[in-house]
Amino acid sequence: MAIDLPPPIPAVSAALTETEVKVTSGFRGADIVIYGAVFDPAQRPSDVVVLVSGPEQPIRLAEKTRVAGVWLNSRPVVFTGAPGFYIAASTKPLNQIASFSTLRELNAGLDHLAIAAPEEQRVERRYGVRDMVVSRLGADYLDWRRAVIRLKEKAGLYAAEPDGVHFVDRGLFRAQLALPTAAPIGKYDARIILFQDGRPVSIRDRTLTVEKAGLERNLYLFAHRRPWIYGLASVAIALLAGWAASVVFRRS
Amino acid sequence: MDLYLPIAEVSVNAPLLVALGALVGFISGLFGIGGGFLMTPVLVFLGIPPVVAVASEANHVAASSVSSVIAYSRKRAVDFRMGGVLATGGVIGAFLGVEVFRLLRLLGQADLVVSVSYLLFLGVIGGLMLMESLRSILRRRRGEAPAVPRDRRPMWLYGLPLKVRFPKSRLYISVIPPIVLGIFVGILSAIMGVGGGFILVPAMVYLLRMPAGVVVGTSLFQIIITTSLTSVLQAGRNQTVDIVLATLLLVGGVVGAQFGARMSSRFRAEELRALLGLLVLLVGLRMGLDLFIRPDDPFVLVSGAG
Repeated sequence: MAIDLPPPIPAVSAALTETEVKVTSGFRGADIVIYGAVFDPAQRPSDVVVLVSGPEQPIRLAEKTRVAGVWLNSRPVVFTGAPGFYIAASTKPLNQIASFSTLRELNAGLDHLAIAAPEEQRVERRYGVRDMVVSRLGADYLDWRRAVIRLKEKAGLYAAEPDGVHFVDRGLFRAQLALPTAAPIGKYDARIILFQDGRPVSIRDRTLTVEKAGLERNLYLFAHRRPWIYGLASVAIALLAGWAASVVFRRS
Repeated sequence: MDLYLPIAEVSVNAPLLVALGALVGFISGLFGIGGGFLMTPVLVFLGIPPVVAVASEANHVAASSVSSVIAYSRKRAVDFRMGGVLATGGVIGAFLGVEVFRLLRLLGQADLVVSVSYLLFLGVIGGLMLMESLRSILRRRRGEAPAVPRDRRPMWLYGLPLKVRFPKSRLYISVIPPIVLGIFVGILSAIMGVGGGFILVPAMVYLLRMPAGVVVGTSLFQIIITTSLTSVLQAGRNQTVDIVLATLLLVGGVVGAQFGARMSSRFRAEELRALLGLLVLLVGLRMGLDLFIRPDDPFVLVSGAG
């Protein structure tokens, strides 16, 4: 691990209480606890934003439209850049911390995730401007993008917690974020940003791994490394169980 | 007691799944169907990804079918030769169906085809079975003699080549109709994630005119073969079989199936058919309802490799 240089002032420093989340058969979600401190001798008003994002997962989204009284799916659109898990926690609502363009630049917050549908885009010349990126989804594009966020929020995978970061003592803050059971396996990034006067003055990045452990891990690896043997084994269990039950019941 | 499933990657309530497995196993043993058409929608409703539900459910169906086939074969109620011919078609159909399903998923139309298939096949078959069996129950209640069994077996069944004798079913027919039936059921099974018993049972009764006594056992026998193959294919190609989920379901399933197979002799054949018809019709209508109800959210996430 690289040794962090002494932070320039003002600066933010942070750590996760656990950097590994083990998913075992009893897994019922976990809490990610982030502790940190703001170093600022001038003690200017500070805001802290914590962004935790999981491994990227492409999303296929379709719109239901009514055709002759029946609800049908449209052609699916693939969105990339969407993390499998995302929480934006902060000391107060993001739009009170920084401006739209600052947040957009940092991809901070659900409204500013870099989600795009590259297959729908083409570059063309419009109104005399070259290299314009135009989406085939047209004016509805924002509706589609909002739907991605909304559906993920409904599944408990995306969340905004405008009061998720608390200052527990002068300069010392704490954030406790819930990781649901549906959270994907993989590497997570936690980015801690210190804002002063609407500008990001210091950024820290931490990583977190969510991985399967114990029996869950062994079964998962078995299923992926020896898929055919795994399939035969699962059928063998099924057939044996069926046979065993009939033997037991014949005796009784 | 919650348990985290390694492949489905969700946490489920273990006793609930065992109980559901037992209930569907009971229905499976009673009616000679796999029960997939009931279990798959329930698993999806519980939050298990549809691809994992379909694949793991095949395993559960295989287990409860073995359990009840052994019970039926003791009663000499399985036509293994006919079952084998049907299964040959079923295997071909399963391979075709898996490819069709992959294509539909890529087009994003898998949901639609599944809903329409449920509505169409379950609705029509359930409705017809219910009507036919109610009619014969009413006739018996009025004390009328049972309808003269008109031999409506279509003539073309006899005109086809490749005739084979099926002594158990007291049939001497071409193998082409059962093979075609098997293929058709195999394709539907792969698309709908079911064993196909709800199509096989009525087709064997009304189309092939097999004696009612052997229909259930034979249908279960063919279901074992196709669902075992589906399980291995799904695990090998898509890695979607969750062994923990399947085991939870089949623990209850094999026990339930034994009770179901025992109970079946206490009912009259037409009463059983009426019950099954009602069940099939209700599930079909429920699944089809989604096509006509305004969705809560106009956008849906669709599954399938991107």
